[in-house]
Amino acid sequence: MMKFDVVVIGGGLAGMTAATALQQGGLKCAVVAEGLSLSGASREAYTAAGGTLLAGDRVTGGTIENGRLVSIRTEKLGDVTLEARAFILATGKFFSRGIVADMQKVYEPIFGLDVQYDADRSTWFSPSFAAPQRFLEFGVIAEDGCAVRNGVKIENLFPAGEVLAGLSSAASDATAEIKKSALAAAEAARRI
Amino acid sequence: MPKDFDVIIIGGGATGAGTARDCALRGLKVLLLEREDLASGASGRNHGLLHSGARYAVRDSESAEECIKENKILRSIASNCVEDTGGLFITLPEDADTGYGLDYQKTFVEAPSVNPRLIGAVTVPDGSIDPFRLCSANITDAVLHGATVLTYTMVTEFILEGKTVTGVRTVNTRTGETAEYHAPVTVNAAGIWAHGIAELAGVVINMYPAKGALLVFGHRVNNVVINRCRKSADGDILVPGDSVTVIGTTSTRIPFSECDHMAVTREEVELLLREGCALCPSLANTRILRAYAGVRPLVASDDDPTGRSISRGIVVLDHKTRDGIDGFITITGGKLMTYRLMAELATDAVCRKLSVHAECKTAETPLPGSADGRISSIIKRFPGKPTAGQKGAAGRQGDLAGKIRFDNPADCALVCECENVTLAEIKYAVSELGVRTLSDLRRRTRIGMGTCQGTFCIRKAAKALAEALGDPSLADKLAADYLDERWKGLCPVGWGDTLREMEFMQRVYKFEKPYSYDEV
Repeated sequence: MMKFDVVVIGGGLAGMTAATALQQGGLKCAVVAEGLSLSGASREAYTAAGGTLLAGDRVTGGTIENGRLVSIRTEKLGDVTLEARAFILATGKFFSRGIVADMQKVYEPIFGLDVQYDADRSTWFSPSFAAPQRFLEFGVIAEDGCAVRNGVKIENLFPAGEVLAGLSSAASDATAEIKKSALAAAEAARRI
Repeated sequence: MPKDFDVIIIGGGATGAGTARDCALRGLKVLLLEREDLASGASGRNHGLLHSGARYAVRDSESAEECIKENKILRSIASNCVEDTGGLFITLPEDADTGYGLDYQKTFVEAPSVNPRLIGAVTVPDGSIDPFRLCSANITDAVLHGATVLTYTMVTEFILEGKTVTGVRTVNTRTGETAEYHAPVTVNAAGIWAHGIAELAGVVINMYPAKGALLVFGHRVNNVVINRCRKSADGDILVPGDSVTVIGTTSTRIPFSECDHMAVTREEVELLLREGCALCPSLANTRILRAYAGVRPLVASDDDPTGRSISRGIVVLDHKTRDGIDGFITITGGKLMTYRLMAELATDAVCRKLSVHAECKTAETPLPGSADGRISSIIKRFPGKPTAGQKGAAGRQGDLAGKIRFDNPADCALVCECENVTLAEIKYAVSELGVRTLSDLRRRTRIGMGTCQGTFCIRKAAKALAEALGDPSLADKLAADYLDERWKGLCPVGWGDTLREMEFMQRVYKFEKPYSYDEV
């Protein structure tokens, strides 16, 4: 078992923004970053502040007790779990598999969080490539900033960035919106 | 100012292109009119299967014989368009009690992804054929023999003198410009749209638009064609072609009004996936590149609701004997496999009307690009060590690739990295092959047809095409139209990895300001 103040899942723009803010604010953080988007300046600022980086690893699941996420497991750490007071979920949308669509449903693959999407697939796409696309609005539901599973809030798990319903990088003001949501999640995590 | 020809051919699919070539080789002065681009209808929307004819052997021996004869001819005259993959007819336990011809060792070497539950596997001389290349090669040869080919030119009206068709009025669908052309014979080779063309001349042909939907998978799961040995049904043929695999088809009667706006439905996709997985279970986990559909131009004969029992046979109609309208011939029915024979029969009918005695030479004369089909000898003509782009061009354009100007190093740059298409080949396609849009360019060069579906090359290709067309300001419009066209094929299969690709494509083109980590 490894213990942190906050564990951030995802090392993209949202995850690194939140983790850097928290680490620089004096909390002990870990980032589990699976993908390729983690790079350069973001890594330097975070690690310079003393943050722990678990690069190239993937979160496989977690233990939820009494409406709180207690710990998470990763592919590489095996039965060594990561514990924290708060967790931030910044896994992005379909491309980075933060949410997954199969022929029947759309789901959040790590915790099975509640996802907002259209059951009727005829609304997902606009025939014009350039027009806004509904499917880019899909994502996990947040209630008071917390993730929700089977209608019940998980009080210390805060989704940030594009994994959230309604937030998409294909929007013109995406960078600002993603950072705003990341800093909000960081603030919520800090208060726990 | 009316222009005069011996024969006007309506339709730039395989049949029209083949008829134009045959007529031109027989010395006729030919005009071909196509309302969109070559092979933009059913000719370009099928499996790309070089049938052995085995599919029809039991129930339609006439079609089966036509198929195997044409199969042999196309292998020799269109070697550049044909890949000799070979094929298998597999029997699954649910289809029959006994299967034949199964040699496990051989079968799994040739078809490593085939359903291991199979109980029979019979080898047939199937292959794959690139219909775009085939149409383009026919047109190229027709033009070499004096034909005039006008794409984006739609026939709006026939010019009749009494009860004789003497010409057509047309409109250019891009410029709106109208024109009038005269010829003693007009051939209606418009595929399913032959129905509407005939109506313009006051003639009724009872056609049966049978929509066939297909799915393209992101790589070749086998190197041979896999057919399912059972009564013809949906999704029972899997064809490897270039870098992809195609499963099809369905057969659904649709109204004529839908022929121009076909969308693949969820039911069709589910059905094709289910049947595809019966042939090759690994397709369940293979990325689907896109879905598309074509319309078979069948001639209605009975009340069969599925359209499967209608013969794929060729129909040549002389409207003088049939309807009292002289100077007008319709060639329809048939299939891509028999396009050359259809063209021969249509040209025979044209020659009878014109009292021209000339023999058909298309069964022996190789198409341009196929005179020397071996890529290894074609690439020797290029200066220096052949590049990926030159090898790609040799595979696609055959010996005509020798005409591509690779002497400027900047032109050797790859534009499409999935299919290895260079700037030089784009310039060649624009100057020699009548390209106006990126979709036209795709049909000539396979640009944007590979695994990225244009995500990485469209901007580059649009700029190159716009410059080659002499108007750089066209680039944005060319790119936007092409993205819409690619998007249309992705939407019916938008889940799993395909949806991931779609999100990525949206990001690449819509995210105006890249993430800057320096700001974190």
